[in-house]
Amino acid sequence: MLDVGRHPRINLLAYSEVENVSGDAGNFRVKVRKKARFVNEDLCTGCGTCAEKCPTMTVDVFNAELGSRKAIYKYFPQGIPSIYTIDKDACRQLGQGKKCGICAKVCQAKAVDFEQNDGEIQLHVGAIVVATGYDVFDPSVIPEHGYGRIANVVTALEFERLLSASGPTAGHLDRPSDMALEKEIDDLEKEHKKLSRQLKQLEEKHGKSSAQVMDLVKSGAAAADKDLHNWAASAERFGELEARLEPMRQKIGAAQPAKKLAFIQCVGSRDFRFNKFCSSYCCMHSVKEAMIANEHDNEVSSSIFCMDLRAVGRGFEEYKLRGGKQANIKYVRGRVAEITEDDALNPVVWFESTTSRQVLHETFDMVVLATACVPTAGTPKLAELLGIELDSNGFFKTDPLAPLNATRDGIFVCGCAQGPMDIPESVAQASSAAARAAEVVAPARQVAAAGSQ
Amino acid sequence: MAEEIRIGVFVCDCGSNIAGYLKVSELAEYAKTLPNVVYVKENLYTCSESGINEIKAAVKEQDLNRVVVASCTPRTHEPLFRETCAEGGLNPYLFEMVNIRDQCSWVHMQEKEEGTAKAKDLIRMGVAKASLLQPQEPIESPMDPRAMVIGGGISGMTSALALANRGYQVTLVEKAAELGGLLLQLDKIGPANADAASVAEKHAQQVQGHPKIKTLTATKIDAINGYIGNFKVTTSTNGVQEEFGVGVIVVATGARVLKPVGLFNYDGEKVITQLELESLFKKGAFNAKNVVMIQCVGARNEERKYCSRICCMVAIKNAIAIKERSPDTGVHILYRDIQAYGTENEELYQYAKQLGVRFLKYDQAKPPKVEEGRVTVYHHLLGRDLELPVDLVVLSTPLIAGEDNETISRLLRVSLDENKFFLEGHVKLKPLDFANDGIYLCGNAHYPATVREAISQALGAASRASIPLSRDVMTVEPIVSTLVDEDACRGCGLCVALCPYGALEIVRTEKGRKVKVIPVACKGCGVCAATCYQHALTINSYTDEQIGQQIEAFLETGTEG
Amino acid sequence: MQYTTDVRIIRLMCTGRVDPPMLADAFMKGADGVMVVGCHFGDCHYITGNYQGKIKVGLASRTLDYVGLNPRRVSFSQCSSAEGERFVNMVSAFDQTIRELGPLGNAERVALPELKDKLAIAKTVLSREKIRWVVGKFTEFTTTGNKYGERFTEHEMWRTLDTIIMDEVATYEILRELENAPASAKEMAAKLKLPPPHVLKYVLALQRRGFVGLAEIDGTSPRYQIVDPMAKEEAA
Repeated sequence: MLDVGRHPRINLLAYSEVENVSGDAGNFRVKVRKKARFVNEDLCTGCGTCAEKCPTMTVDVFNAELGSRKAIYKYFPQGIPSIYTIDKDACRQLGQGKKCGICAKVCQAKAVDFEQNDGEIQLHVGAIVVATGYDVFDPSVIPEHGYGRIANVVTALEFERLLSASGPTAGHLDRPSDMALEKEIDDLEKEHKKLSRQLKQLEEKHGKSSAQVMDLVKSGAAAADKDLHNWAASAERFGELEARLEPMRQKIGAAQPAKKLAFIQCVGSRDFRFNKFCSSYCCMHSVKEAMIANEHDNEVSSSIFCMDLRAVGRGFEEYKLRGGKQANIKYVRGRVAEITEDDALNPVVWFESTTSRQVLHETFDMVVLATACVPTAGTPKLAELLGIELDSNGFFKTDPLAPLNATRDGIFVCGCAQGPMDIPESVAQASSAAARAAEVVAPARQVAAAGSQ
Repeated sequence: MAEEIRIGVFVCDCGSNIAGYLKVSELAEYAKTLPNVVYVKENLYTCSESGINEIKAAVKEQDLNRVVVASCTPRTHEPLFRETCAEGGLNPYLFEMVNIRDQCSWVHMQEKEEGTAKAKDLIRMGVAKASLLQPQEPIESPMDPRAMVIGGGISGMTSALALANRGYQVTLVEKAAELGGLLLQLDKIGPANADAASVAEKHAQQVQGHPKIKTLTATKIDAINGYIGNFKVTTSTNGVQEEFGVGVIVVATGARVLKPVGLFNYDGEKVITQLELESLFKKGAFNAKNVVMIQCVGARNEERKYCSRICCMVAIKNAIAIKERSPDTGVHILYRDIQAYGTENEELYQYAKQLGVRFLKYDQAKPPKVEEGRVTVYHHLLGRDLELPVDLVVLSTPLIAGEDNETISRLLRVSLDENKFFLEGHVKLKPLDFANDGIYLCGNAHYPATVREAISQALGAASRASIPLSRDVMTVEPIVSTLVDEDACRGCGLCVALCPYGALEIVRTEKGRKVKVIPVACKGCGVCAATCYQHALTINSYTDEQIGQQIEAFLETGTEG
Repeated sequence: MQYTTDVRIIRLMCTGRVDPPMLADAFMKGADGVMVVGCHFGDCHYITGNYQGKIKVGLASRTLDYVGLNPRRVSFSQCSSAEGERFVNMVSAFDQTIRELGPLGNAERVALPELKDKLAIAKTVLSREKIRWVVGKFTEFTTTGNKYGERFTEHEMWRTLDTIIMDEVATYEILRELENAPASAKEMAAKLKLPPPHVLKYVLALQRRGFVGLAEIDGTSPRYQIVDPMAKEEAA
């Protein structure tokens, strides 16, 4: 990333979208809309003071919505270009019309610009490489897996963030149900603290205890005194909070990080209801996640539920076997029928074992869904803009014997934009696409070079 | 050396990122007291236009011969400041960066006193190292704009064509008498269902007709010497030796199909390999009523742990071919896991099922038994043995590493993996490069691959190779290994064996055997310097003295730590 | 993400650059702990440099331990550039360890002024040919084997290195003693807290190599002295 940002021959247009493409191979004209960041790219040094002082918290999309970030933000810490952007919808000033502007005040580089508008750029290029990647399948449409309904059923990508040392849990396998409880306690405690302060002030001011006031109101003696009624209501709420918080605190005190994991393969892939194709990388991804979880805490055990475990790259089969031997990973052949939830919020996995021919169920601390790799939401629109075809699965269509070529000359597709594949294959394909693109632009380059001599 | 060291120190506020947590003015004052420091300046943002100009001006006006910037991370800003020094007329390697943001202000936000004390130490350490810095010149090495591709299969031919189409002269070396490789033995290529021989032939014609490609068939490589930009290759064709130079090399040597001698009663007649089945197709000699295919023959076992990636798809392709020729022929595929990864492969898998190909999972611990006229296999769902009538058994055997891989890896000084396939530089970041610069790999030489994947990798390898080819001269950062004490070197080769990049070699000199650094290949990791028992090697800008001086400076008047 | 202010970072390109005497040097100059932090195995920016780093740090740590340093003062850790939190945790844990151990000399078998002398010997040993040759062959001997095709386990290599550490430390301590004044094996044995026959063995080895010769005979025990000026340099 850093290399891309620094390369003298790469013009990086981040936070931008292609709007129109015309012309032919060797001579394309592309219209790009550069979205307003509300931060001047030339002035911003990426120092981050603005984000630190920004008073507005919003959901952190990068951390799979498991954490939060500020309204002026960088998508993730190592992001390139290292420039901040205001999330227009979350921002007090831009989105909610309130007075704020703190970021502009603290920015010593004077880079914040609330008046910035979208820009338009015209590019003249010889070849186009499409590397738009993929989306992760949304598993909430599969009713039997309970995603969205059962707190401790997460996607592989969410689990990746939980495992990450720079993620929301600093790499500890805290269960989402416990994290939610913690947040609830936090919120209630804030209210509790506020009420406690208010009540104390009232008690000091009026020389009466809250209990007395409550009795007074109950007895009807306070009749029309609105202040006293409010006081009593606050006191009642305070008592309620006390009663609610105590068991919650006990519960969170007893909460343990997840130790027993289930990984469900082919969630949304190899499933005729959703996508018939195989997503290619998820088997190894699950094995890797199970290995890392075990490295982090060697009491963690994992069961991987799969039809075939597809370990087809160099060292993959060996890695899979090592996981079984050294990292408490069990490979269970069978398709999961349903996931339910028990009283302790543990997911229970129901499945038919194809080896013992029985319907079994097993309780886990957390279930990880290996969700399918699907075409990005913008794929059909981009295909239309570029004038290229999609295959029957909705990925950009390519020719098996000319594996980078899209259906229009001068346009090449690499990586998961043409179908699911793992990182090494994507990286190799990226180079291949560059080779093809270079062949297209080579004549023009030679002319340009000759002209400059 | 009587040069007077004149160091300029620039302390950055980074807005409030540093100034908000450290007493920056105190740091600047402190820097003035350090030995050899003649100029100190505090900047709001040293990396801004005005900060940069102040550095340039100070270099000239104050006659600085070393510059230290105490600011953020060299990861992002070192190139900028080096460039600034150069623009100011100072050798860019007389610059040292001290990170008082990531290493100090950001991680000690609540401790202004202690943080400031630490920042002083860091600056003192940086200044101490700067005093010992020596000017370095970028390393330049000429680039021979020609390429050699080893292997004339689909990967090699594709790579050669891609490079030649970009205008580079390519020599394609093939040990067999004709181009084509494994494709020549195949029937059809899935999933395109193209005729393998005609694809091979089409490529071979293009290669042979290309004015920029010189094809050497029936040729063996005797020697490869040199390094990126400057390889010298010796080949022999029918006993005639030839020598030529190239700048880069693409390894596309392919792989072999394992012959399953001694497995499942293999006899080449009734029990054959997938490759032999394809040659039956080609000859039109296929004729069987009941076919059983067995997967993972000689693969994913104790002896050969790896999965050969493509055999499931080969079996499915051939099963479909059988069903399309003779729909009444029964086909069973006995497998452990069906590796139909991706979109097209899974589609073919489903199509084969639709055509009536039966898939049966077997357990490694209870392998199928092949006897005259029948195959017995334990069926999991039934919980008992199943007998399948058979008149042809087809064994899916893995691709195994080429027999010449060891020789070629020795000639190129590149690594092989435990299965003797060629090993790439980095599994994710550099899948088509070797660790050694200027050498690239693709196709089955790397690991079993489908034709689609092989073509894609071959184009990619050509693309990687064209990066250095497109330059007249290779320029490399001079932070590399240097033989500082030639007399001390005994030419033992300890360092050569440990260099991850093949950047060291032993040469004969007037003084005897000595190590020689190939600077364009060196990345400056320093393993050689840390290993040499004669302390004859060091790394520019990371010498023992410079590092020792930093340690010394930290601890001499160090704060309690 | 905050950590102790007691840490100073020295940047190297790769842990493979870590030369064992650097660690001895840091302790000699007064550091209380040294952490070497590099990439995760299999993910090294310099391919295999971190494996070499781990071996070199292991050697330094064993040598320093042998001369009396508490080995918990040396750590080899791994962390990627994206793992800030992990780095903080590692530094904090190490800081905690060092705080428990106290300043250099506090948790060691040997008290301070003497410890520094011992550390100097360790630095010399780690700079010298014998040990560097063997540690340089570590990877080759444990993977492809020596030129006779014998492959050693890591455990065997470390055991060999431990013996060399013992021999080398004794040898350089003896040379240092003789540097001060001629001495008998018995006198040196008492001073170096080594069994007299061992000291005699090392002295005789040095005599064979021509570094040490007979100075005088005091009663029944011979006193030795340095004869080769090269040896003086070696002892320094």
